[in-house]
Amino acid sequence: MTPAETNAAPDTQWPRWEVFKQDAEGKPHQAVGSVHAADAEHALLMARSVHARRPAAVSLWVAPADAVHAVTAEQLATDPETPAPFGAGARRFLVFRKTSHRRSMTFVEHVGAVTAAGPEGAVAAARETYPEPPALAWWVVPADRVTASPEAEVAAWFEPAGTKTYKQQSEYGTLAAGHRKGGRR
Amino acid sequence: MPPEAGRSVEDEERLEAFEARIAGGEKIEPGDWMPEAYRRQLVRMISQHAHSEIVGMLPEGAWITRAPSLRRKLILIAKVQDEAGHGQYLYHAAETLGVPREELIDALLEGRAKYSSVFNYPTLTWADVGMIGWLVDGAAIRNQLMLAQCSYGPYSRAMVRICAEETFHHKQGKEMVLLYARGSASQRAMAQDALERWWWPSLMMLGPHDSDSPNTPQLARWGIKTKTNDQVRREYVDEHVPELQGAGLTVPDPVLRFDEASGHWVHGTIDWGEFWRVVKGNGPVNAERLAARRSAHEEGRWVREAMAAYAARATGAAS
Repeated sequence: MTPAETNAAPDTQWPRWEVFKQDAEGKPHQAVGSVHAADAEHALLMARSVHARRPAAVSLWVAPADAVHAVTAEQLATDPETPAPFGAGARRFLVFRKTSHRRSMTFVEHVGAVTAAGPEGAVAAARETYPEPPALAWWVVPADRVTASPEAEVAAWFEPAGTKTYKQQSEYGTLAAGHRKGGRR
Repeated sequence: MPPEAGRSVEDEERLEAFEARIAGGEKIEPGDWMPEAYRRQLVRMISQHAHSEIVGMLPEGAWITRAPSLRRKLILIAKVQDEAGHGQYLYHAAETLGVPREELIDALLEGRAKYSSVFNYPTLTWADVGMIGWLVDGAAIRNQLMLAQCSYGPYSRAMVRICAEETFHHKQGKEMVLLYARGSASQRAMAQDALERWWWPSLMMLGPHDSDSPNTPQLARWGIKTKTNDQVRREYVDEHVPELQGAGLTVPDPVLRFDEASGHWVHGTIDWGEFWRVVKGNGPVNAERLAARRSAHEEGRWVREAMAAYAARATGAAS
């Protein structure tokens, strides 16, 4: 059957999913990039291959990119958002923020959650709830759009990376020409 | 570069504020205002970089089945898998600038996109795998350490992550070549042969001479590149020449010399004619590389169709 007959999507990129990785228990989930995937389960598997090839990871979250409301401090300063009135449609949003220009592998990190009627309201609530340190960028994501890696799979998904020491640069130590002994084969 | 005539006073003010942010060491993030030329330059650089990671899997991937030991096979699989991941990090960074991933991949498959010239040379022996790790990844790391300082947040973050992983690529290659360089006569000859074929391409991959890099001043002003091609090339040469010589190998450049006054190595003239031939699609294996990418894409079509059908059914069932 051709894609037209099955009514399947054309051969094109899948939806984009933002990926958040937690390095250890007690550490926040941090935005590490995005993957394209057909559904949440596929996105988690892609995220594991792309973003957890090495230690350390204990959990991954994925959220459809279109569920992420992102706004920078510059945008808030030049074009303030108008939150929808807080009403019956209130839902829970996970809040992520970035607070430093320091060199980093990760972008915004999870700081908590707020309840609001819409994403603009969630940003306003986040700014009130988490005023310090000043954020350079905010992301708010409806909690029910975030899918976490399965608890039961933590060991199977993340522990093998720890045993693959041959892909750690520290395994090779300092390599110098002329060292006849001590180099690993 | 935006035409001066089309610029409004407001644009000028925004540009000034933007440049002040960069001068102050701030990172520009998706959503922040940026000049169109900044966005365009980044898309150009990041997409070429992403394609290079993807095509970069091919020269070494061909040797996975022929690795001489289990350890070397595991290392090579991990390295090739890393290159795939690096391509994904970079496509993501490009997407934050509003370019769909699909558009970038189509450009590569249709032969409209550029990627690093160095991947259009063939890998003829197993020693090439080691030499690519030591020299090609060594040169790439030099460039990427510079780009990790980039003013655009998503590109900088991808580079920081890639540099951490590529240090493994560099070290495993160097380890392998050092081993062969002190091995049997035929192992030494194999290492020397690989050096002779990869040395000049590794110098070329750091890009045209500064006098042929018209974009560099603007890229430097906007904190995209913090060093010129020739500066990065000099760092690469200074790092690698003493180590190659220390290993007992001969760098294939008869006029290569250490300049006491400047404290740097001075290499011979790069064959820029060859560089441009390869960049323009006429290198030793350009056509083969693209054919391999297209065939991988076509052979994966049934998987993509199955995934899409499964997702459509799951969504249908849920609604």
